[in-house]
Amino acid sequence: MAASALFPNLKYSDGLTVVGISVCTALVCEAISWVLIYRTTSYKSLKSSIDKASKKLETMKTDSSINKPKAKAKKMDRVETSLKESSRDLSLFKFKSGAVVAIVLFVVFGLLNFLFEGKAVAKLPFVPVRIVQKMSHRGLQGDDPTDCSMAFLYFLCSISIRTNLQKFLGFSPPRGAAGAGLFPMPDPKTN
Amino acid sequence: MKEKKSVKFNLQQQHQNGHLSPFKFAKLLDPEASWDKDQLGDVLHWIRQVVALVCGLLWGAIPLVGGIWIIAFLVISSGIIYGYYAMILKIDEEEFGGHGALLQEGLFVSIMLFLLAWTTVYSLVHF
Repeated sequence: MAASALFPNLKYSDGLTVVGISVCTALVCEAISWVLIYRTTSYKSLKSSIDKASKKLETMKTDSSINKPKAKAKKMDRVETSLKESSRDLSLFKFKSGAVVAIVLFVVFGLLNFLFEGKAVAKLPFVPVRIVQKMSHRGLQGDDPTDCSMAFLYFLCSISIRTNLQKFLGFSPPRGAAGAGLFPMPDPKTN
Repeated sequence: MKEKKSVKFNLQQQHQNGHLSPFKFAKLLDPEASWDKDQLGDVLHWIRQVVALVCGLLWGAIPLVGGIWIIAFLVISSGIIYGYYAMILKIDEEEFGGHGALLQEGLFVSIMLFLLAWTTVYSLVHF
């Protein structure tokens, strides 16, 4: 491919091609998401209400000046319900617009699969566990578990590059929204 | 007259912007600074990503080979994060959801970035 033409001496230059295509795909997907989702007033108002509700909830949890626990609990329930409703509406809104991004990602993965099927695009510096080998050694000949398939490299690129790009551009879901936890993935509604 | 006003306004903006950047970096090392949960979370996230990139590039260039170096990376990056918020910023972790919440900021993404950088550099430099 392009990288193997530019760097003919490198055995695993195809890995560079995969990373390069992943970077370009991430930029294109975020551009599409910005046009269809992030610049709309619906998204901005939903995000703003989620931010306000989660901050209000945090303040209420730490505020000891309210003496009536029942009234406080009732108030917190109302704010939590409002937060959940806004989060659900946000997810639904993004889901409808995310179909276009999903098609782009599907096409790109199909193209990469066509170009690099059966070919090791990188060498892993460690032996992955069995369950990971199902992806890292997908479609490859031989028994060397350190051969890396396009699928695994693309998976690493997708998670690391897209998530950080979303965060850098300010498109990550608000922390108060449901779904943000131990393993924050790239915003799934734009996948 | 209008041109003079707009120039003055631009100069004021530049003055403010010039003050903005050093103020932000100073806050990163100031134990007296007050932190919003989101702001602190973002800073910890980006610190993890930088550590992941540096470790990945270094591990791949040397090269360091073996699954044990993934554990080493986790220990190093978590140690840096803990040292930063506990010893440099001196924040009360209970106000921000506890050690778990702070240590898991950007953890998974940093592992993916580390593996990507490590694998890519190792493959390109040593084969």
